[in-house]
Amino acid sequence: MSPWLLAPMQGAVALMLAPGLVGAIRWMKARLQSREGSPPWQPYLELRKLFAKEVVVSSNASWLFRAAPFIVFGSAVTVTLLVPLLAVPLPLGGAGDLLVVVYLLLLGTFFLALAGLDPGSPFGGMGASREMTVAALAEPTMALAIFALAWGVGSTNLGQIASRTLSTPSEALAPGHVLAFAAIFLVTLAETGRLPVDNPSTHLELTMIHEAMILEYSGRYLALIEWAAALKLLVFFSLLGNLFAPWGVASVITPGALLWAAVTLALKLLALGGVIALVETHIAKLRLFRVPELLSASFILALLAVTASFLLR
Amino acid sequence: MVSQLSVGGSTLVLLGGLMMLWRRGVAAHIGAFTFQSVALAATMAMVGWFAGDWQLWAVAAALLLVKGIGIPLLLKRMERRFGSERELEPYVNTATSLLIGGLLVLLAYIVTAPLVSVSRLPTRTGMPLAIGLVFVSLFIIISRKKALTQVLGFLMLENGIALLAVLGTHGIPIIVEIGVFLDVALGFIVMQVFVYQIHETFESIDVEQLNRLRE
Amino acid sequence: MMATGAPFLTLLLPPLVAALLALVLPARRLVSSAVHAVLALVSLGAALGLVYLVLDGVTPTWGPTDLFRVDALSALLAVCVAFVTTLSALLGPGPGREQHYTPVQIRRFRVFASLFAFTMLVAVTANNVGVMWIAIEATTIVSAVIVPLAVSKASVEASWKYILIGSVGIALAFVGTVLGYFDFVTLVGQRESALNWTVLLANARVLHPPVIELAFVFILIGYGTKAGLAPMHTWLPDAHSEAPSALSAMMSGVLLAVALYAIMRWKAVVASVVGPVFPNRLLVGLGLLSLALAALSLVIQRQYKRLLAYSSIEHTGLMCMGLALGPLGVFASMLHLVNHTVAKSMMFFLSGRILDRYGTPEIASVSGLLRVMPWTGGLFAAGMLALLGLPPFGMFLSEFTLLRAGFADGQSWLMAVVLVFLAVAFVSLLGHLNRMLYGAAPAEVRLGEGSGWAVLPLVGSVALLVILGVAVPAPMTALLHRIVEIAGR
Repeated sequence: MSPWLLAPMQGAVALMLAPGLVGAIRWMKARLQSREGSPPWQPYLELRKLFAKEVVVSSNASWLFRAAPFIVFGSAVTVTLLVPLLAVPLPLGGAGDLLVVVYLLLLGTFFLALAGLDPGSPFGGMGASREMTVAALAEPTMALAIFALAWGVGSTNLGQIASRTLSTPSEALAPGHVLAFAAIFLVTLAETGRLPVDNPSTHLELTMIHEAMILEYSGRYLALIEWAAALKLLVFFSLLGNLFAPWGVASVITPGALLWAAVTLALKLLALGGVIALVETHIAKLRLFRVPELLSASFILALLAVTASFLLR
Repeated sequence: MVSQLSVGGSTLVLLGGLMMLWRRGVAAHIGAFTFQSVALAATMAMVGWFAGDWQLWAVAAALLLVKGIGIPLLLKRMERRFGSERELEPYVNTATSLLIGGLLVLLAYIVTAPLVSVSRLPTRTGMPLAIGLVFVSLFIIISRKKALTQVLGFLMLENGIALLAVLGTHGIPIIVEIGVFLDVALGFIVMQVFVYQIHETFESIDVEQLNRLRE
Repeated sequence: MMATGAPFLTLLLPPLVAALLALVLPARRLVSSAVHAVLALVSLGAALGLVYLVLDGVTPTWGPTDLFRVDALSALLAVCVAFVTTLSALLGPGPGREQHYTPVQIRRFRVFASLFAFTMLVAVTANNVGVMWIAIEATTIVSAVIVPLAVSKASVEASWKYILIGSVGIALAFVGTVLGYFDFVTLVGQRESALNWTVLLANARVLHPPVIELAFVFILIGYGTKAGLAPMHTWLPDAHSEAPSALSAMMSGVLLAVALYAIMRWKAVVASVVGPVFPNRLLVGLGLLSLALAALSLVIQRQYKRLLAYSSIEHTGLMCMGLALGPLGVFASMLHLVNHTVAKSMMFFLSGRILDRYGTPEIASVSGLLRVMPWTGGLFAAGMLALLGLPPFGMFLSEFTLLRAGFADGQSWLMAVVLVFLAVAFVSLLGHLNRMLYGAAPAEVRLGEGSGWAVLPLVGSVALLVILGVAVPAPMTALLHRIVEIAGR
């Protein structure tokens, strides 16, 4: 199989799995809270419904408002092509660099924030400023944590990091790795808008961060943005899974290996989803001025991860 | 293997210190100290296992008893008396404190570079973290407002030194170890008495009130 | 090398016994005061005996792995400690003395002051660096217990700062000690006697300079905190002014000297490893900073006990600088140490009497001292003139020698700066003294000396200062020469 086919295949798999992941987490949370909950495929139905609905745009909005959903969705899909979802070596191998991934994710966040400001609604502005605060603290942590992993490998290419851990399994329990995992886990909670940073199912505008920015969107724009958010969640989970526990990832590109990789990926996603569901059920949302404290703590964890890797090089 | 475990253990000990900067409330601080002491005892036992030094096991056991169980019990009793006081904002807020803590750890790395290059012990890799804990504890003492937290900071400082001694030299001569233990225990008891005295005299353990002596 | 413990036991046991007896004997009786004083005198006699032994060329050691060892430096400091302890036993809180302490307070003072003396004596006679550290940490703890002998907001605050800053400083000194031990172990291997001065000095050539430099920085900051060197001195004015006068005398008089002793011992080791330049620079820096801060603070002081405390910082700074000025500087430093011990302890005892009579620590409220208490006032004036560095008192000689050492070492500019600060201190102290001595006595203060016996030992102190200023006795000079050999370059 040609490695160039691998990229669109990864993208397709990601696009297909992402809404299911969100639905699965929602379903698990509902079950933990002794509710029936909607079925795990509910997000697919929602997406279909949204694509059929009419788009209503505020008269104050500019071209940015209409363009933003595409930019956000586009950057999310591009990231899925670059991270080691299914196979290592990566199809667009050289471009699968840490910094590229981080900046692509940040691009999406940036445009979403701008789109929140664009219509001039107060909730949009509030959501945008909060999102930027969180992003400003979370992005350096992410970069630092992956840098800690990169130290041992000597390269920031995500594929190489994953294959390094594949070849020397004892590396997975190195202090640097464990700390980096903890740091990226906290960053995931922050970047994907999960408790305790942001409640994804809240209906109170004053407590929203992510939802507030997309309050004005409707129809297919909203569908694209929701899908992009689900993709972002999938990307973070697969990074957590495949960088720290890469077993199952295909190192040779054969159909069997790829199928096995897809299965293990789905299992890892479900496992992490379960953890998130547990965390969300147990913790209450942090007050907004406490969020920087949580993110500073994750930054320190990432810093310690870098220093631990440095010491054991 | 020993290197990894010593770095892991030292990181946990240092994390205990950083948790003091992160969590608020005296109860959380006592929890952080207990966690740190247990991690320190475990690290000591690990080093003792690999070095085949039974004295380290004895010291680890004593550490666990005194600092992991005894002192937290005493502190919890104090906390029940003073814990109901309102939460005080430390002199430096939490996020900045954590960042300064990170910088102090980096400073510790720079400072201890000659040490790590000189030593040939496998446990030497954790030494910068021990010095990092020393610096972080100093920061805790000067930036916190409650006398009880300052005492905890001092105890953490002693933990950091003990970790340094274990990692760098696999323990110090036993007679000095005993003396140090007694000193720390006595010092803690006296400090405890003083915190009670401060509470009686000033009706609170906010050290900002200790400002009558100037110049 | 004598292996018998007799000289050590007669030095170290009396304070321990005194502490134990003070627990049981009723504090109100004159008998217990007498016992207390006699035990202190026994200690003093033992210390003088050790000096005699050392001058004879003997270096007594004792204990497994040579735990205790007395050379010239230890002997000199042991005499200083025992001397001030004796004075404190004679003039400190006790029944029938003017200070109006309750029996509970008197008992607590006796117990802990004796323990204080014991720990200081252990610190100066220990051969093992770790044991010395333990003893010095113990001095912080036991002295902190009796700083708030009279509980008040100010004394509680002072004692809290003292124990916290002191313990933190000592902990940093321990980091330095561990680093020194670490280097030794890395190179030579673990040994029970590895922490002995003698062993460290013998192996100094092998140790790694960067590690030892780092260790010395920690040690200087740590023990410097106990010695009252700036910028770690912030606890000193509070603690020394709020503590009972006898305790302040012990703390200012000898505890600072003991901390300086620790620095001296380590400096000898460090200088053998990295050469004298690095430690000298640090010592001069800290010493100068202390001198400057103290001299400038003296100007604005409003309480006489805080005044004396800052004067201690000033003199400790001078001693610290002296250590860095070559052999003559070390000689001057040690002479200054002895003079300071005698003078400062006397001054604190006298300030205790003044506080009792006038009831206020403020300089402005104390006037007409010569008229109210002629003997106390006269001795106070003499002591202050001694602290100012005026002849015929000993400090003039030691300060002059220190300046000479500085010029001989080629540090003329530094000595000029020192002179400037000494002049500032001179003017402020003299001004405060004049305010206190002359003028009309306040109305509510009782006239007359009161119990005259108490000032008799202090007259002895002044006599000692004069002797040291006019003609230093030969044994003293011999002892100081031996110390110069020990302290190295």
